[in-house]
Amino acid sequence: MEDKPLKALDKSSGHRASGKSSQQDIRNLWTTATLSQPKLNVALSDVCEDSEGSSVSSRTRRWRKQTAGHDWDASWEALEDRKDKDSFKQEELDEHSLLELEMRLDSSVGSHVEDDDESRTEKPSSVSSFNIAKHTHHRAYWMEQHNRLPLPLIELMENEALEILTKAFRSYRSGIGRDHFLTKQLQRQIEGLKRRQNKRLHVSAH
Amino acid sequence: MDCFPPCFKTFAIRASLFQHSSSEAEFSLQLQAARAFGLKSARMKLKEGSFLWYLYLDKLYCLLSVRNVKALVDYFHLLDVHRKNTLNDVLFYHFLHHVTTLKRRQINIVFNMLDWSAMGEIGFDQFYMLVCILLARENQLEEQFIFRHSRPVFELLDLDGELKIGADNFHMYNFLFNIKRQELRELYHDFDITGDRLLNYKEFKLFTMFSMDKYQERQKAEKEKEKDKDKDKDKVLLKKKRSHQVNMSPNTSFWNKWIRK
Repeated sequence: MEDKPLKALDKSSGHRASGKSSQQDIRNLWTTATLSQPKLNVALSDVCEDSEGSSVSSRTRRWRKQTAGHDWDASWEALEDRKDKDSFKQEELDEHSLLELEMRLDSSVGSHVEDDDESRTEKPSSVSSFNIAKHTHHRAYWMEQHNRLPLPLIELMENEALEILTKAFRSYRSGIGRDHFLTKQLQRQIEGLKRRQNKRLHVSAH
Repeated sequence: MDCFPPCFKTFAIRASLFQHSSSEAEFSLQLQAARAFGLKSARMKLKEGSFLWYLYLDKLYCLLSVRNVKALVDYFHLLDVHRKNTLNDVLFYHFLHHVTTLKRRQINIVFNMLDWSAMGEIGFDQFYMLVCILLARENQLEEQFIFRHSRPVFELLDLDGELKIGADNFHMYNFLFNIKRQELRELYHDFDITGDRLLNYKEFKLFTMFSMDKYQERQKAEKEKEKDKDKDKDKVLLKKKRSHQVNMSPNTSFWNKWIRK
Protein backbone atom coordinates (compact mmCIF):
# COMPACT_ATOMS: atom_id res chain seq x y z
CA MET A 1 0.00 0.00 0.00
CA GLU A 2 2.74 2.47 0.84
CA ASP A 3 4.91 3.42 -2.11
CA LYS A 4 8.41 4.57 -1.47
CA PRO A 5 8.54 8.36 -1.37
CA LEU A 6 11.32 8.59 -3.91
CA LYS A 7 9.35 6.42 -6.32
CA ALA A 8 6.38 8.68 -5.82
CA LEU A 9 8.65 11.61 -6.58
CA ASP A 10 9.84 9.98 -9.80
CA LYS A 11 6.30 9.19 -10.89
CA SER A 12 4.93 12.56 -10.00
CA SER A 13 7.76 14.40 -11.69
CA GLY A 14 6.63 12.94 -15.00
CA HIS A 15 3.08 14.10 -14.48
CA ARG A 16 3.25 17.56 -15.99
CA ALA A 17 3.54 18.42 -19.69
CA SER A 18 7.01 18.00 -21.06
CA GLY A 19 7.05 21.23 -23.03
CA LYS A 20 7.81 23.51 -20.08
CA SER A 21 11.49 22.85 -19.58
CA SER A 22 12.53 26.18 -18.07
CA GLN A 23 9.56 26.18 -15.72
CA GLN A 24 10.29 22.58 -14.80
CA ASP A 25 13.73 23.74 -13.69
CA ILE A 26 12.03 25.97 -11.14
CA ARG A 27 9.96 23.08 -9.99
CA ASN A 28 12.93 20.78 -9.70
CA LEU A 29 14.72 23.30 -7.56
CA TRP A 30 11.95 24.23 -5.25
CA THR A 31 8.90 22.09 -5.35
CA THR A 32 9.86 18.43 -5.72
CA ALA A 33 12.65 18.25 -3.21
CA THR A 34 12.46 16.81 0.31
CA LEU A 35 9.25 14.88 -0.21
CA SER A 36 7.99 12.51 2.46
CA GLN A 37 10.49 13.63 5.00
CA PRO A 38 9.86 12.68 8.63
CA LYS A 39 9.82 16.37 9.45
CA LEU A 40 6.56 16.79 7.58
CA ASN A 41 4.91 16.18 10.91
CA VAL A 42 6.30 19.46 12.16
CA ALA A 43 3.57 21.95 13.02
CA LEU A 44 2.75 24.41 10.28
CA SER A 45 3.41 27.38 12.54
CA ASP A 46 6.95 26.19 13.12
CA VAL A 47 7.53 26.00 9.39
CA CYS A 48 6.13 29.47 8.82
CA GLU A 49 8.09 31.06 11.65
CA ASP A 50 11.36 29.30 11.16
CA SER A 51 11.51 27.56 7.81
CA GLU A 52 15.24 28.13 7.89
CA GLY A 53 15.84 25.80 10.83
CA SER A 54 13.68 22.95 9.64
CA SER A 55 15.19 22.59 6.20
CA VAL A 56 18.79 23.57 6.80
CA SER A 57 20.03 20.01 6.47
CA SER A 58 18.26 19.44 3.14
CA ARG A 59 19.40 22.78 1.78
CA THR A 60 22.95 22.18 2.97
CA ARG A 61 22.87 18.77 1.35
CA ARG A 62 21.77 20.21 -1.99
CA TRP A 63 24.38 22.93 -1.86
CA ARG A 64 27.09 20.41 -1.00
CA LYS A 65 26.14 18.34 -3.99
CA GLN A 66 26.73 21.30 -6.22
CA THR A 67 30.15 22.18 -4.87
CA ALA A 68 31.84 19.02 -3.54
CA GLY A 69 32.70 15.66 -5.11
CA HIS A 70 31.62 12.15 -4.18
CA ASP A 71 33.44 11.87 -0.88
CA TRP A 72 30.79 13.70 1.06
CA ASP A 73 28.34 10.88 0.33
CA ALA A 74 29.84 8.74 3.04
CA SER A 75 29.45 11.46 5.63
CA TRP A 76 25.89 12.05 4.54
CA GLU A 77 25.10 8.35 4.67
CA ALA A 78 26.15 8.35 8.29
CA LEU A 79 23.89 11.31 8.85
CA GLU A 80 21.01 9.62 7.04
CA ASP A 81 21.40 6.47 9.16
CA ARG A 82 21.23 8.55 12.26
CA LYS A 83 18.19 10.37 10.95
CA ASP A 84 16.41 7.12 10.16
CA LYS A 85 17.02 5.84 13.68
CA ASP A 86 15.71 9.04 15.16
CA SER A 87 12.79 9.42 12.82
CA PHE A 88 10.27 7.92 15.25
CA LYS A 89 11.40 10.35 17.92
CA GLN A 90 11.30 13.20 15.36
CA GLU A 91 14.42 14.82 16.67
CA GLU A 92 15.82 17.74 14.72
CA LEU A 93 19.48 18.09 13.95
CA ASP A 94 21.18 20.29 16.51
CA GLU A 95 22.98 23.33 15.31
CA HIS A 96 26.12 22.01 16.98
CA SER A 97 26.04 18.60 15.29
CA LEU A 98 25.27 20.30 11.98
CA LEU A 99 28.33 22.45 12.37
CA GLU A 100 30.35 19.36 13.24
CA LEU A 101 29.13 17.68 10.11
CA GLU A 102 29.99 20.68 7.99
CA MET A 103 33.49 20.70 9.43
CA ARG A 104 33.83 16.99 8.67
CA LEU A 105 32.63 17.50 5.14
CA ASP A 106 34.97 20.38 4.59
CA SER A 107 37.93 18.39 5.87
CA SER A 108 37.03 15.43 3.66
CA VAL A 109 36.74 17.69 0.66
CA GLY A 110 39.87 19.54 1.61
CA SER A 111 41.88 16.33 2.14
CA HIS A 112 40.62 14.97 -1.13
CA VAL A 113 41.82 18.05 -2.90
CA GLU A 114 45.20 18.02 -1.16
CA ASP A 115 45.95 14.32 -1.55
CA ASP A 116 45.05 13.92 -5.16
CA ASP A 117 47.15 16.15 -7.37
CA GLU A 118 45.36 15.06 -10.53
CA SER A 119 41.99 15.91 -9.20
CA ARG A 120 43.42 19.17 -7.98
CA THR A 121 44.47 20.02 -11.49
CA GLU A 122 41.13 18.91 -12.86
CA LYS A 123 39.10 20.79 -10.28
CA PRO A 124 39.42 24.50 -10.54
CA SER A 125 41.28 25.99 -7.65
CA SER A 126 38.41 28.37 -7.16
CA VAL A 127 36.25 25.46 -5.87
CA SER A 128 38.45 24.65 -2.88
CA SER A 129 39.07 28.26 -2.08
CA PHE A 130 35.37 28.82 -2.61
CA ASN A 131 34.53 26.19 0.03
CA ILE A 132 36.95 27.62 2.51
CA ALA A 133 35.82 31.15 1.84
CA LYS A 134 32.18 30.24 2.20
CA HIS A 135 32.81 28.64 5.51
CA THR A 136 34.68 31.50 7.03
CA HIS A 137 33.29 34.58 5.29
CA HIS A 138 29.91 35.51 3.86
CA ARG A 139 28.19 32.76 5.80
CA ALA A 140 25.20 34.95 6.46
CA TYR A 141 25.06 35.80 2.77
CA TRP A 142 24.97 32.14 1.73
CA MET A 143 22.37 31.31 4.34
CA GLU A 144 20.24 34.12 3.00
CA GLN A 145 20.70 32.85 -0.55
CA HIS A 146 19.44 29.46 0.54
CA ASN A 147 16.42 30.99 2.22
CA ARG A 148 15.35 32.96 -0.80
CA LEU A 149 13.07 31.60 -3.46
CA PRO A 150 14.37 31.52 -7.03
CA LEU A 151 13.77 34.75 -8.92
CA PRO A 152 11.56 33.22 -11.65
CA LEU A 153 9.28 31.85 -8.94
CA ILE A 154 9.14 35.19 -7.14
CA GLU A 155 8.31 36.88 -10.43
CA LEU A 156 5.52 34.40 -11.14
CA MET A 157 4.06 34.86 -7.67
CA GLU A 158 4.21 38.64 -7.78
CA ASN A 159 2.68 38.86 -11.25
CA GLU A 160 -0.17 36.64 -10.24
CA ALA A 161 -0.70 38.46 -6.94
CA LEU A 162 -0.77 41.74 -8.86
CA GLU A 163 -3.51 40.51 -11.17
CA ILE A 164 -5.58 39.19 -8.27
CA LEU A 165 -5.19 42.36 -6.20
CA THR A 166 -6.03 44.58 -9.16
CA LYS A 167 -9.36 42.77 -9.57
CA ALA A 168 -9.94 42.93 -5.81
CA PHE A 169 -9.23 46.65 -5.90
CA ARG A 170 -12.09 47.16 -8.35
CA SER A 171 -14.43 45.29 -5.99
CA TYR A 172 -13.23 47.34 -3.03
CA ARG A 173 -13.72 50.59 -4.94
CA SER A 174 -17.23 49.70 -6.03
CA GLY A 175 -18.17 48.24 -2.64
CA ILE A 176 -16.70 50.52 0.00
CA GLY A 177 -15.48 53.46 -2.04
CA ARG A 178 -12.13 54.81 -3.15
CA ASP A 179 -11.46 56.77 0.06
CA HIS A 180 -11.87 53.92 2.52
CA PHE A 181 -8.66 53.06 4.36
CA LEU A 182 -8.87 49.40 3.28
CA THR A 183 -9.04 50.48 -0.36
CA LYS A 184 -6.03 52.73 0.14
CA GLN A 185 -4.09 49.92 1.83
CA LEU A 186 -4.80 47.66 -1.11
CA GLN A 187 -3.80 50.41 -3.54
CA ARG A 188 -0.47 50.85 -1.73
CA GLN A 189 0.24 47.13 -1.96
CA ILE A 190 -0.53 47.16 -5.69
CA GLU A 191 1.76 50.13 -6.24
CA GLY A 192 4.53 48.39 -4.28
CA LEU A 193 4.24 45.30 -6.45
CA LYS A 194 4.26 47.39 -9.63
CA ARG A 195 7.40 49.20 -8.49
CA ARG A 196 9.14 45.90 -7.85
CA GLN A 197 8.05 44.66 -11.26
CA ASN A 198 9.39 47.77 -12.97
CA LYS A 199 12.68 47.49 -11.10
CA ARG A 200 13.11 43.94 -12.29
CA LEU A 201 12.30 44.88 -15.89
CA HIS A 202 14.72 47.77 -15.67
CA VAL A 203 17.47 45.53 -14.32
CA SER A 204 16.90 42.82 -16.94
CA ALA A 205 16.87 45.42 -19.75
CA HIS A 206 20.32 46.64 -18.69
CA MET B 1 -19.62 43.46 2.04
CA ASP B 2 -21.97 40.53 1.58
CA CYS B 3 -20.65 38.05 -0.97
CA PHE B 4 -23.04 35.27 -0.05
CA PRO B 5 -25.81 34.88 -2.61
CA PRO B 6 -29.32 34.73 -1.11
CA CYS B 7 -30.01 31.34 -2.75
CA PHE B 8 -27.23 29.76 -0.69
CA LYS B 9 -28.99 30.65 2.55
CA THR B 10 -32.27 29.22 1.24
CA PHE B 11 -30.47 26.03 0.30
CA ALA B 12 -29.00 25.68 3.79
CA ILE B 13 -32.49 25.87 5.35
CA ARG B 14 -33.99 23.35 2.93
CA ALA B 15 -31.06 20.97 3.35
CA SER B 16 -31.63 20.83 7.09
CA LEU B 17 -35.31 20.02 6.51
CA PHE B 18 -34.36 17.09 4.29
CA GLN B 19 -31.69 15.77 6.60
CA HIS B 20 -33.66 13.18 8.55
CA SER B 21 -35.59 11.51 5.74
CA SER B 22 -35.79 7.72 5.76
CA SER B 23 -36.82 6.27 2.40
CA GLU B 24 -34.73 5.74 -0.71
CA ALA B 25 -36.99 8.05 -2.70
CA GLU B 26 -36.44 10.85 -0.23
CA PHE B 27 -32.71 10.15 -0.35
CA SER B 28 -32.61 10.70 -4.09
CA LEU B 29 -34.76 13.77 -3.56
CA GLN B 30 -32.00 15.20 -1.40
CA LEU B 31 -29.53 14.72 -4.20
CA GLN B 32 -31.87 16.30 -6.70
CA ALA B 33 -32.44 19.27 -4.42
CA ALA B 34 -28.71 19.76 -4.07
CA ARG B 35 -28.23 19.57 -7.83
CA ALA B 36 -31.12 21.96 -8.47
CA PHE B 37 -29.21 24.71 -6.73
CA GLY B 38 -26.53 24.66 -9.42
CA LEU B 39 -24.04 22.59 -7.50
CA LYS B 40 -23.29 20.15 -10.25
CA SER B 41 -19.91 18.54 -9.94
CA ALA B 42 -18.24 20.29 -12.89
CA ARG B 43 -14.63 19.21 -13.05
CA MET B 44 -12.65 21.77 -11.13
CA LYS B 45 -9.28 22.60 -12.66
CA LEU B 46 -6.34 24.73 -11.70
CA LYS B 47 -5.47 27.27 -14.36
CA GLU B 48 -2.40 26.23 -16.27
CA GLY B 49 0.62 28.36 -15.51
CA SER B 50 -0.74 29.66 -12.21
CA PHE B 51 1.49 29.46 -9.15
CA LEU B 52 -0.51 26.63 -7.56
CA TRP B 53 -0.31 24.66 -10.76
CA TYR B 54 3.43 24.26 -10.18
CA LEU B 55 3.10 22.88 -6.66
CA TYR B 56 3.18 19.18 -5.88
CA LEU B 57 1.55 17.07 -3.24
CA ASP B 58 3.55 14.28 -1.72
CA LYS B 59 1.80 11.23 -3.17
CA LEU B 60 2.10 9.28 0.05
CA TYR B 61 1.08 11.80 2.70
CA CYS B 62 -0.85 14.17 0.42
CA LEU B 63 0.86 17.19 1.93
CA LEU B 64 3.16 19.86 0.60
CA SER B 65 6.89 19.67 1.17
CA VAL B 66 8.61 22.25 3.35
CA ARG B 67 9.87 24.15 0.31
CA ASN B 68 6.41 24.27 -1.15
CA VAL B 69 5.05 25.56 2.12
CA LYS B 70 7.74 28.22 2.26
CA ALA B 71 6.76 29.41 -1.22
CA LEU B 72 3.08 29.28 -0.27
CA VAL B 73 3.70 31.38 2.83
CA ASP B 74 5.31 34.09 0.73
CA TYR B 75 2.45 33.92 -1.74
CA PHE B 76 -0.08 34.21 1.06
CA HIS B 77 1.71 37.27 2.43
CA LEU B 78 1.57 38.91 -0.98
CA LEU B 79 -2.21 38.57 -0.93
CA ASP B 80 -2.51 39.58 2.74
CA VAL B 81 -2.69 43.29 1.97
CA HIS B 82 -4.09 44.31 5.36
CA ARG B 83 -1.29 42.60 7.30
CA LYS B 84 -3.58 40.49 9.45
CA ASN B 85 -2.30 37.07 8.32
CA THR B 86 -5.75 36.48 6.87
CA LEU B 87 -7.67 36.84 3.62
CA ASN B 88 -11.13 38.34 3.71
CA ASP B 89 -13.96 37.07 1.52
CA VAL B 90 -13.27 39.51 -1.33
CA LEU B 91 -9.57 38.68 -1.60
CA PHE B 92 -10.35 34.99 -1.21
CA TYR B 93 -12.95 35.12 -3.95
CA HIS B 94 -10.66 36.87 -6.42
CA PHE B 95 -7.80 34.50 -5.61
CA LEU B 96 -9.86 31.38 -6.17
CA HIS B 97 -11.57 32.83 -9.21
CA HIS B 98 -8.20 33.63 -10.73
CA VAL B 99 -6.49 30.29 -10.15
CA THR B 100 -9.36 27.82 -10.61
CA THR B 101 -12.42 27.27 -12.79
CA LEU B 102 -14.78 27.42 -9.80
CA LYS B 103 -17.93 29.52 -10.03
CA ARG B 104 -19.02 32.18 -7.58
CA ARG B 105 -21.44 29.90 -5.73
CA GLN B 106 -18.83 27.22 -5.35
CA ILE B 107 -16.26 29.71 -4.11
CA ASN B 108 -18.71 30.97 -1.52
CA ILE B 109 -19.37 27.42 -0.37
CA VAL B 110 -15.63 26.81 -0.03
CA PHE B 111 -15.22 30.01 1.95
CA ASN B 112 -18.05 29.02 4.27
CA MET B 113 -16.50 25.60 4.72
CA LEU B 114 -13.07 26.99 5.61
CA ASP B 115 -14.23 29.84 7.80
CA TRP B 116 -14.77 27.41 10.66
CA SER B 117 -14.46 30.08 13.32
CA ALA B 118 -16.98 32.30 11.48
CA MET B 119 -14.65 35.30 11.50
CA GLY B 120 -15.26 36.21 7.88
CA GLU B 121 -11.56 35.66 7.19
CA ILE B 122 -9.32 32.76 6.21
CA GLY B 123 -6.01 32.22 8.00
CA PHE B 124 -2.95 30.46 6.65
CA ASP B 125 -3.93 27.08 8.16
CA GLN B 126 -7.19 27.06 6.23
CA PHE B 127 -5.44 28.38 3.12
CA TYR B 128 -2.89 25.57 3.30
CA MET B 129 -5.68 23.01 3.69
CA LEU B 130 -7.49 24.43 0.69
CA VAL B 131 -4.37 24.29 -1.47
CA CYS B 132 -3.86 20.63 -0.52
CA ILE B 133 -7.48 19.85 -1.42
CA LEU B 134 -7.18 21.67 -4.75
CA LEU B 135 -3.97 19.87 -5.63
CA ALA B 136 -5.45 16.51 -4.64
CA ARG B 137 -8.40 17.22 -6.91
CA GLU B 138 -6.19 18.37 -9.74
CA ASN B 139 -3.92 15.31 -9.52
CA GLN B 140 -6.82 12.87 -8.94
CA LEU B 141 -5.65 11.92 -5.47
CA GLU B 142 -9.00 12.54 -3.78
CA GLU B 143 -9.36 9.03 -2.34
CA GLN B 144 -5.83 9.09 -0.97
CA PHE B 145 -6.30 12.56 0.46
CA ILE B 146 -9.56 11.68 2.18
CA PHE B 147 -8.00 8.48 3.53
CA ARG B 148 -4.92 10.24 4.87
CA HIS B 149 -6.79 13.18 6.33
CA SER B 150 -10.14 11.66 7.18
CA ARG B 151 -10.54 13.57 10.45
CA PRO B 152 -10.08 17.09 9.06
CA VAL B 153 -12.19 16.27 6.00
CA PHE B 154 -14.96 14.93 8.22
CA GLU B 155 -14.86 18.08 10.31
CA LEU B 156 -15.03 20.21 7.18
CA LEU B 157 -18.05 18.33 5.87
CA ASP B 158 -19.77 18.44 9.26
CA LEU B 159 -21.09 21.97 8.75
CA ASP B 160 -23.44 22.14 11.71
CA GLY B 161 -21.11 20.41 14.17
CA GLU B 162 -23.40 17.44 14.90
CA LEU B 163 -20.51 14.97 14.39
CA LYS B 164 -22.56 13.38 11.61
CA ILE B 165 -22.74 14.07 7.91
CA GLY B 166 -25.59 13.56 5.51
CA ALA B 167 -25.72 12.97 1.77
CA ASP B 168 -26.40 16.63 1.12
CA ASN B 169 -23.09 17.54 2.77
CA PHE B 170 -21.24 15.21 0.45
CA HIS B 171 -23.05 16.39 -2.61
CA MET B 172 -22.52 20.01 -1.76
CA TYR B 173 -18.77 19.47 -1.85
CA ASN B 174 -18.76 17.09 -4.74
CA PHE B 175 -16.80 19.54 -6.90
CA LEU B 176 -13.97 19.37 -4.34
CA PHE B 177 -13.92 15.75 -3.29
CA ASN B 178 -15.33 14.11 -6.40
CA ILE B 179 -17.52 11.51 -4.72
CA LYS B 180 -19.76 10.27 -7.48
CA ARG B 181 -23.50 9.75 -7.18
CA GLN B 182 -23.30 5.98 -7.40
CA GLU B 183 -20.57 5.90 -4.78
CA LEU B 184 -22.68 8.08 -2.55
CA ARG B 185 -25.57 5.64 -2.76
CA GLU B 186 -23.24 2.74 -1.99
CA LEU B 187 -21.70 4.73 0.81
CA TYR B 188 -24.98 5.17 2.61
CA HIS B 189 -26.17 1.71 1.79
CA ASP B 190 -23.05 -0.12 2.97
CA PHE B 191 -21.60 2.08 5.69
CA ASP B 192 -24.57 3.57 7.45
CA ILE B 193 -24.39 0.96 10.20
CA THR B 194 -26.56 2.89 12.62
CA GLY B 195 -29.21 3.28 9.93
CA ASP B 196 -29.94 6.93 10.53
CA ARG B 197 -28.97 8.03 7.00
CA LEU B 198 -26.09 9.93 8.52
CA LEU B 199 -22.46 8.93 8.87
CA ASN B 200 -20.58 9.35 12.11
CA TYR B 201 -16.79 9.49 12.06
CA LYS B 202 -16.23 5.74 12.40
CA GLU B 203 -18.56 4.97 9.52
CA PHE B 204 -16.88 7.65 7.47
CA LYS B 205 -13.44 6.23 8.27
CA LEU B 206 -14.58 2.77 7.11
CA PHE B 207 -15.74 4.33 3.89
CA THR B 208 -12.37 6.03 3.33
CA MET B 209 -10.54 2.73 3.87
CA PHE B 210 -12.87 0.99 1.46
CA SER B 211 -12.54 3.62 -1.25
CA MET B 212 -8.75 3.59 -0.77
CA ASP B 213 -8.69 -0.18 -1.39
CA LYS B 214 -10.84 0.31 -4.46
CA TYR B 215 -8.53 3.04 -5.71
CA GLN B 216 -5.49 0.79 -5.31
CA GLU B 217 -7.22 -2.05 -7.12
CA ARG B 218 -8.05 0.33 -9.94
CA GLN B 219 -4.42 1.43 -10.12
CA LYS B 220 -3.27 -2.18 -10.27
CA ALA B 221 -5.78 -3.00 -12.99
CA GLU B 222 -4.64 0.00 -15.02
CA LYS B 223 -0.99 -1.02 -14.66
CA GLU B 224 -1.79 -4.52 -15.82
CA LYS B 225 -3.68 -3.15 -18.80
CA GLU B 226 -0.71 -1.04 -19.75
CA LYS B 227 1.60 -4.03 -19.43
CA ASP B 228 -0.67 -6.09 -21.67
CA LYS B 229 -0.76 -3.27 -24.20
CA ASP B 230 3.02 -3.09 -24.21
CA LYS B 231 3.24 -6.84 -24.68
CA ASP B 232 0.85 -6.70 -27.62
CA LYS B 233 2.85 -3.89 -29.16
CA ASP B 234 6.05 -5.89 -28.79
CA LYS B 235 4.38 -8.90 -30.42
CA VAL B 236 3.20 -6.82 -33.35
CA LEU B 237 6.67 -5.34 -33.78
CA LEU B 238 8.25 -8.80 -33.68
CA LYS B 239 5.85 -10.07 -36.30
CA LYS B 240 6.62 -7.14 -38.54
CA LYS B 241 10.34 -7.70 -38.12
CA ARG B 242 10.04 -11.35 -38.97
CA SER B 243 7.88 -10.75 -42.01
CA HIS B 244 10.32 -8.09 -43.15
CA GLN B 245 13.21 -10.53 -42.75
CA VAL B 246 11.32 -13.23 -44.62
CA ASN B 247 10.61 -10.84 -47.50
CA MET B 248 14.24 -9.81 -47.74
CA SER B 249 15.68 -13.35 -47.75
CA PRO B 250 17.06 -14.59 -51.15
CA ASN B 251 14.77 -17.68 -51.39
CA THR B 252 11.60 -15.72 -51.00
CA SER B 253 12.75 -13.04 -53.41
CA PHE B 254 13.39 -15.83 -55.95
CA TRP B 255 9.86 -17.15 -55.40
CA ASN B 256 8.44 -13.67 -55.72
CA LYS B 257 10.16 -13.21 -59.04
CA TRP B 258 9.02 -16.60 -60.24
CA ILE B 259 5.42 -15.83 -59.26
CA ARG B 260 5.47 -12.53 -61.02
CA LYS B 261 6.64 -14.22 -64.25
